[in-house]
Amino acid sequence: MQNPSAVLVSRFVAEVALATVTAAIGAVVTLGALEFGTGWGDGGPQPGYFPFYIGVIVMLASGATLVEAILNREQHRATPFLRREQAMRILAFFGPMAGFVVLAAVLGLYVALIVYLTATMMVQGRYRLWRALAVSVGSAITFYLIFEVWFRVPLLKGPLEALLKIH
Amino acid sequence: MDNFGNLLDGFRIAASGYHVAIMMAGVLLGILVGVLPGLGAPNGVSLLLPLTFTMDPVAAIILLTSMYWGALFGGSTTSILFNIPGEPSSVATTFDGYPMARDGRATNALTLAFLSAGTGALFGVVVITGLSGWVTQFALKFSSPEYFAVYLLVFASFVGMGNTSPFKTVVSMTLGFAVATIGVDTISGNVRLTFGIPDLVKGISFLVAVIGLFGLGELLQTMEEGLRFEGIHARISPREVFRTALTLPRHWVTLLRSALVGCWMGITPGGPTAASFMSYGLAKRFSRRKEGFGKGEPDGVVAPETADHAAGTCAILPMLALGIPGSATAAVMMGGLMIWGLTPGPMLFIERPDFVWSTIASMYLGNVIAVVLVLATVPMFAAILRIPFSIIGPMIVVVCFVGAYTVSGARLDLWFALLFGIVGYLLKKLDYPIAPMVLAMILGDKMEDAFRQSMLMAKGSMGVFYSNPLVGTITTLALLLLLWPLVSRLLRAAQSRPAGKTG
Repeated sequence: MQNPSAVLVSRFVAEVALATVTAAIGAVVTLGALEFGTGWGDGGPQPGYFPFYIGVIVMLASGATLVEAILNREQHRATPFLRREQAMRILAFFGPMAGFVVLAAVLGLYVALIVYLTATMMVQGRYRLWRALAVSVGSAITFYLIFEVWFRVPLLKGPLEALLKIH
Repeated sequence: MDNFGNLLDGFRIAASGYHVAIMMAGVLLGILVGVLPGLGAPNGVSLLLPLTFTMDPVAAIILLTSMYWGALFGGSTTSILFNIPGEPSSVATTFDGYPMARDGRATNALTLAFLSAGTGALFGVVVITGLSGWVTQFALKFSSPEYFAVYLLVFASFVGMGNTSPFKTVVSMTLGFAVATIGVDTISGNVRLTFGIPDLVKGISFLVAVIGLFGLGELLQTMEEGLRFEGIHARISPREVFRTALTLPRHWVTLLRSALVGCWMGITPGGPTAASFMSYGLAKRFSRRKEGFGKGEPDGVVAPETADHAAGTCAILPMLALGIPGSATAAVMMGGLMIWGLTPGPMLFIERPDFVWSTIASMYLGNVIAVVLVLATVPMFAAILRIPFSIIGPMIVVVCFVGAYTVSGARLDLWFALLFGIVGYLLKKLDYPIAPMVLAMILGDKMEDAFRQSMLMAKGSMGVFYSNPLVGTITTLALLLLLWPLVSRLLRAAQSRPAGKTG
């Protein structure tokens, strides 16, 4: 077995990576703002004025964060950002969560939440199918009653609800 | 007294049966949200906000503020019983609250925490009541340059008073501004930064961002640390509560000091978290029993709790009066105000006194109700945390995404919530502050409008920000705060150099 406390990513790598990404976002914002004129128009500052300087500040501050990270590189290299054990825990939680979103976008929130709750209860909590189904279907009905009946806020529905004619 | 008359009118509205029922519902929901890991006050208010769109603004603000009080109490409960702060602002309560509970004094710790929190909150509301009448005198002096200067002051204070790298604060807030500019420009009508994606025309809602950043981001972080609840069973006996309540006056010095710290940090955007830590530190420094701190010293529970709640209530005043929220939760509530069609700012006190004063009156009632309810329901809510996390965790995830969807009924928001969840997790782990980003998303449009209107008034001259004493003072203060990290660094360098030579 591999060592569970082995460091996968050091703080230094994480700092540099995030600062680079924020700088890139700054560049995208700046370029996007150029489309509208960034100077002084008939009606005062043009629409691109504010986003342009915001983008520039994002880039400058990201650059400064990058410099800070490099100045502290020895300390940051010795600090772990993510250990193997932590990465496994995050993946075990994030994976099903992302799956839930994909399912919700395709099949609607109700079907997705029943599948997601049942699956996580069975796999991670080792519950039997009937108990997991009882909890997840019960929560789906609770959501329906609270949102659609009480507050009259419709939730995202998919093809299954259309088939069953639930609106 | 004008204030007193207004307050009585407020009580007449807030004390109706309907509003009291809403307060109780809000407090209970708040305790639930505060107890559950990953769901905090800002996130809970964001989840509830879409359901208030059709409500009367008075009922809606009572619901949201009551939820806020409930969440603050819920956060303290888990700090004491489980050593897990349900809220960032109740971290300091774990230092002495959990040791007290471990020694078999759980009831004492909880009662002290709730009563001192209630005291802090009431102190905060009294301060708000006193200051509110005064706010209206400013109202008519405020125009675009003053608003822009005040916004600048808020963001500068994050840079100047934050305890992380000032550059990270700037990155976080400017990214928030960038997100705020996505969509239709309110002045020119141009569609900005959508990169051809039609769903982006209406912009990205700050509510979706808050649900992702605070809710999902925090959950991911909790999961990474490997969650374990080792709770202490709480049985609350009324006699023990009563006996502890009688000891509260003994802590009056700590109560008063912490309440003052809390009020100051709540009105300036220091926020409840900073207030509770600062107050704990001060209590320890001035205590005669310093060595008892960290091992179950009652003063160590009283101090952070009082300051936390005093700051929480006081944060409502600048939100209503200036449109500057003193905490992340107040920021979300302010977003709500704008959605309900109210404009936060001094004019609100003149145009909608009924709204302002019934909000303030409901804060008196809501906090008293919250103390009673939380004492009565602690065992029930502590039992929730004994439900296995393989059920509770995914349940919280579902609630977050359902909440994100109800904001505007858009499928794309589910993806944004997920994205902001990852962003929140990364930013938190690398010590980027998140509150300035959320605040920038909420205030971005207003700040930009204020800037462009000021520029129009002055025909492009920056001198407008020094055109009268009021705006000049605020601008100067903002610039000083903005440069403070640089100045303090230079001062420190200047001090250490001669010391280095002699050594």
